[in-house]
Amino acid sequence: MSETELKKNVATAGASRRSFLQMAGVVGAGAVLPLNLAGVRLANAAGGQLRVRFGADIAILDPALIFQVENQTIAGHVYNGLVQYDQATNEIIPDLATSWEITPDGTEYTFKLHSGVKWHKGYGELTSDDVKFSFERVLDQATGSRYTGQLAGLEAVDAPDPTTVVFRLAQPNAGFLHKVCAFNQGWIVSRKAVEEKGEAYKLDPIGTGPFVFDSWIAGNSVRLVANEDYFAGRPHVDEVVFRIIRDETAAAIALEKGEIDIFFGLQQPEVIERLNATDGMTVLSREASNTVNLVLNTTMPPLDDVRVRQAMIHALNRQGLIDGFFQGTKSPAHSVLTPTFQEFSDNVPVYDYNPDKARALLEEAGAVGFEFELVTVALNPYDRFPVPMVDDLNAVGINATMKVIERGAYVQARGSGKVQSCITAVVGPPDPDAPLVTLFSTTSFPPGLNTSRYDQVDDLLAAAANELDTEKRKGIYEQILQKSMEDVPVIPIFAERLFLAHSDGVEGLVQNSLFTVQTYPVSLKG
Amino acid sequence: MAGYLGRTFVQLIATLVGIVTVVFFLMRAIPGDPALYMLGDFATETAIVALRERLGLDLPVYQQYFLFMERAVTGDLGRSVVTGQPALTEIISALPWSLSLAVGGLSVAVLVGVPLGILSAIKHGTWIDTAIMLVALIGISFPVFWVGLVAILFLSYHGGIFPALGAAVGGGFWTQIHHLILPALVLGLSVAAYIARLTRSAMLEVLGQDYVRVARAMGVPERRINFRFALRNAFIPILAVIGVTFAWALGNAILVEVVFSRPGLGSTILKAILARDYQLVQAGVLVLATGVVLINATLNVLYGVIDPRMRTGE
Repeated sequence: MSETELKKNVATAGASRRSFLQMAGVVGAGAVLPLNLAGVRLANAAGGQLRVRFGADIAILDPALIFQVENQTIAGHVYNGLVQYDQATNEIIPDLATSWEITPDGTEYTFKLHSGVKWHKGYGELTSDDVKFSFERVLDQATGSRYTGQLAGLEAVDAPDPTTVVFRLAQPNAGFLHKVCAFNQGWIVSRKAVEEKGEAYKLDPIGTGPFVFDSWIAGNSVRLVANEDYFAGRPHVDEVVFRIIRDETAAAIALEKGEIDIFFGLQQPEVIERLNATDGMTVLSREASNTVNLVLNTTMPPLDDVRVRQAMIHALNRQGLIDGFFQGTKSPAHSVLTPTFQEFSDNVPVYDYNPDKARALLEEAGAVGFEFELVTVALNPYDRFPVPMVDDLNAVGINATMKVIERGAYVQARGSGKVQSCITAVVGPPDPDAPLVTLFSTTSFPPGLNTSRYDQVDDLLAAAANELDTEKRKGIYEQILQKSMEDVPVIPIFAERLFLAHSDGVEGLVQNSLFTVQTYPVSLKG
Repeated sequence: MAGYLGRTFVQLIATLVGIVTVVFFLMRAIPGDPALYMLGDFATETAIVALRERLGLDLPVYQQYFLFMERAVTGDLGRSVVTGQPALTEIISALPWSLSLAVGGLSVAVLVGVPLGILSAIKHGTWIDTAIMLVALIGISFPVFWVGLVAILFLSYHGGIFPALGAAVGGGFWTQIHHLILPALVLGLSVAAYIARLTRSAMLEVLGQDYVRVARAMGVPERRINFRFALRNAFIPILAVIGVTFAWALGNAILVEVVFSRPGLGSTILKAILARDYQLVQAGVLVLATGVVLINATLNVLYGVIDPRMRTGE
């Protein structure tokens, strides 16, 4: 059976089952019409169609250019990396690579690949050349990749034989495994597919993952079908349909009515409360890998004075914001790393809500009544939660106002470095470089997000990259967190929490902290 | 007739060139940069420069404009910066969703609004008139997203008659229609209230004319007066509003699209503006403008059918 025939058969079998289920009035039941294709293991596969809510449409599925959680979620189903984050613990575990070795000086990483891994839709077998190609194209300026900077220091990728890949680094980088982990630039693409498809590849991805990209109806849905040849075993469900439902209340009703099985991107406190109170629904919640921060521009007086910045963090009732505005759906943050990072430490200076102390510090700095503009983006909830913060600042004698700017203009204003403050969240994998280098390194501006122009931890960041001993490395990260919280160029406002809801028919779903959802382990109850 | 078609065609071209020009410069006048959007938080300086160059954003705006017009004349509106798909293809794929919603919604609006307006005018000053106008006032006042959520809550969640999602994935014609009913009802009823009020006042104006009084004095049956004389004359402004509303519903039904999870032109263009996806915005506006011009042309013909004095082309 040719690849296209197989695909067609999977598609029709899926469709007929679905209409049968609709006729029978059964939703999500799997065992009604067992799907049997040649060579398909059905031992623990209940089959069926899994339906997942998306809050926004997909746009781009090329790992070199990818961004936004919906795209990353689809990519997580279609692609593999050399290594991957364990969904539950964020530990780095094998994926396409069965094992890897690092030379004692930390500049050479050698990966052994699984043999016999097949690309989707008949694009042949995965070889080390595809891996080499995947990373080299991220480095190539012509690709216009978002993640070229992530691979800084990568000198060469060699493919000595079809199942061996060697990465050579200019200097040791203890965090390098994060860069080749199955996320963004770490997802491996097929050289043949990328070269053959050109621009069209952006929405016609070829991977090695558990699901094959089948179709996209703009603004409506994305359909993936099970990869029968998946090297780690076929997924339990036959297909996954991601439905684009922008409104959260409508999505909640669709979940309760059985029109979808998994509610991804659940955020609104009142919808969370509603689903929590509904029988037959499970709401999962987990700490995300990012904080939402108020970034202060330390080149603009009086924000160059550490006492003023400390006064501001004391002035803000951050716990009140979490309990009141967010109704407990966010977590307190005392540094820019969240507990989901392996390098997290809570041994940092903690600032309580203390308006009196804030007033005293302001007076000491001679900055009472200074004009402060809190610049934020016109996106829910970023345009609303700073309102009580501005009130808090005014209460201690800062003449604070708020300025809300449309997203495109906001990104430009922030990038200009000419605003006094901005709200920034660094959303990425649990790689400590993601928030720390991005927010605190002098290499991250301009362009970049170190809009506070903080320059006090460059040495420590370099030391962390060079330190290959895990425990010592954690110690250095702790110092970075401590230093950055003494100087407060960035005020962590709260730590993001992720919510995911599913109906009782869904089994085996593990929530990750990557802002995505992975349905490979999921099965539908009969 | 040939002259009329020719004039319409010239009008179409002039309108499109004008609108596309305005949109072209407006999009570039607002702050924001597609390269920054595409490259995101971890962008490097060289990457930004390289991408701007590749997208042609490093050229002076007037040069970009001439390049764009040159390609547009050959039917090439460029590719979406984000998805890499041809911009026109992406817009056209949203068109059936918007068209079906607009046709469904306007049908509801006309079928409900016009009869209620007529009834209200005939029963002018009675409690029926007051009741209908009160309902219409409420209909106009409630925001459409709220009505949409309430409709989902009662007709879908509690009633179980319609699906909560206003767009089916796959499924045949009837499945699609089943999903369309609720959004069409919500869009239609909000417009129906408006059309009912308009029909009423247009009818009342005609019913107050001398020739109607004369007809009544001559003993022409009331039924014939209402429908043959009054409605026919009142229908010109009603038709104009239906046409304008139809054009509006094509591109502006964003709230209905969001509440009922439907794709559509409005949502697509909004998404494109937020991403500074210039090509997609231009293609979207071009398609919408074409729609508006075609609707206007159709209306002009219809006016002539209703009122011989307005026939064109003679």
